[in-house]
Amino acid sequence: MECTLEAQENAIIVHVDGRVDESTWEAFSACLSQAIAQAGKAGLPTVIIDLSELEYMSSRGLRVLTVAKRESDSCGIATELASPNEVMAEILAISRYDKLFTITGGASAKP
Amino acid sequence: MIVRFWGTRGSLPVAPNAATIRRKVARALLSADGRRFESADDAERFVAEGLSFAAGSTYGGATSCVELDGGSSYFICDMGSGLRQFGMDSMRRNSAGHSKTYNFFQSHLHWDHIMGFPFFAPAFDPEATIRIHSGHADAEQALRRQQEEISFPVPFDWLRAEIEFVHLNPGRTHEVDGLKVETILQHHSHDSYGYRFTDADGRTVIYSTDSEHKPDNMASEAAFIDFFRDTDLVVCDTMYSLADSVSMKEDWGHSSNLVAVDLCHQASAKCLALFHHEPSYEDEDIQKMHEESIRYEELTRNGTSLEVICAYDGLEVRL
Repeated sequence: MECTLEAQENAIIVHVDGRVDESTWEAFSACLSQAIAQAGKAGLPTVIIDLSELEYMSSRGLRVLTVAKRESDSCGIATELASPNEVMAEILAISRYDKLFTITGGASAKP
Repeated sequence: MIVRFWGTRGSLPVAPNAATIRRKVARALLSADGRRFESADDAERFVAEGLSFAAGSTYGGATSCVELDGGSSYFICDMGSGLRQFGMDSMRRNSAGHSKTYNFFQSHLHWDHIMGFPFFAPAFDPEATIRIHSGHADAEQALRRQQEEISFPVPFDWLRAEIEFVHLNPGRTHEVDGLKVETILQHHSHDSYGYRFTDADGRTVIYSTDSEHKPDNMASEAAFIDFFRDTDLVVCDTMYSLADSVSMKEDWGHSSNLVAVDLCHQASAKCLALFHHEPSYEDEDIQKMHEESIRYEELTRNGTSLEVICAYDGLEVRL
């Protein structure tokens, strides 16, 4: 799993590559905390997690998203998910995380 | 070892009402599409093979009660409302010579996990021995209290069986009538305990219900992965969707289908039985949750496959 940050005009973009599972969730969690801190410091209103290069995320990664969202909400920063591939879109639907997060772009889960 | 599910519903017993049965029958007739059946067996075959499980059957509505048939006496996990039917069936087996010793293993003492005991007919048999194993020191108090006058007309002291309470400690292996039993503390209101049973042939079953795995304490799951390691069958609390379990239903003490699949994958377990179904779920909802759990297992599989089954009242699993 690789996780990198990119500062844009209105948001910090988190690029995540590979898998987030039992062996990588802690590194992913640290990366998201760093993104939220960076957004707070720069006064940016949004952290966007770019899932386009993500292979999949297990419940460990999904729950990291929950912890990060709590952290960002407490700082007044919005967290959004962007561009999930077909597998990830399906996992977001199965977990019902598509009801918890704003998701922009990418594949749609099959009905 | 045979695992029999006598009660699989969470929190509250439920039953299909007239409208639900009418809808099932109407849909079955539509699916039959004018076909003629030579016999009731022929019609039952059509229901089993031509209809989905939710359309032709039901997951049932009795609360938690699971029998493990693999030792020299009875082994029962929890005393939910499914216990009444187990009690009747065991008396049939007793008349054929089965030992009248009943070993209970309590996940915890909440109402839905003890409510079957006042209706457990063998408790009135003076030749029966009932051993109630629990990690809770107040198990006896819980069972006596629910049979006090204000709640139930038959006091606990009127029961005729020999009843004893056995306290189990996590971290120790207990030998009980031919099975090895280990227990683990779980996160739930007033605590709950998971169990690992191993028979003489080395077959292993986990019973882990009413166990919450919280997002801010994922490091603690390593202990559960060790406990579940290489198990033949894991019976696991899968009451909520992952999203519900971390949002409006967080701290309600239950787990999700996704966390159960992940724990089993990491532990290299062979089979997962989805269990403790949400009482508001219709059969179609439970079937959908089962199908989605199978799909999630496929999407996240990173080694050998995990069979995902869905427990229902009356299911028997042979290991």
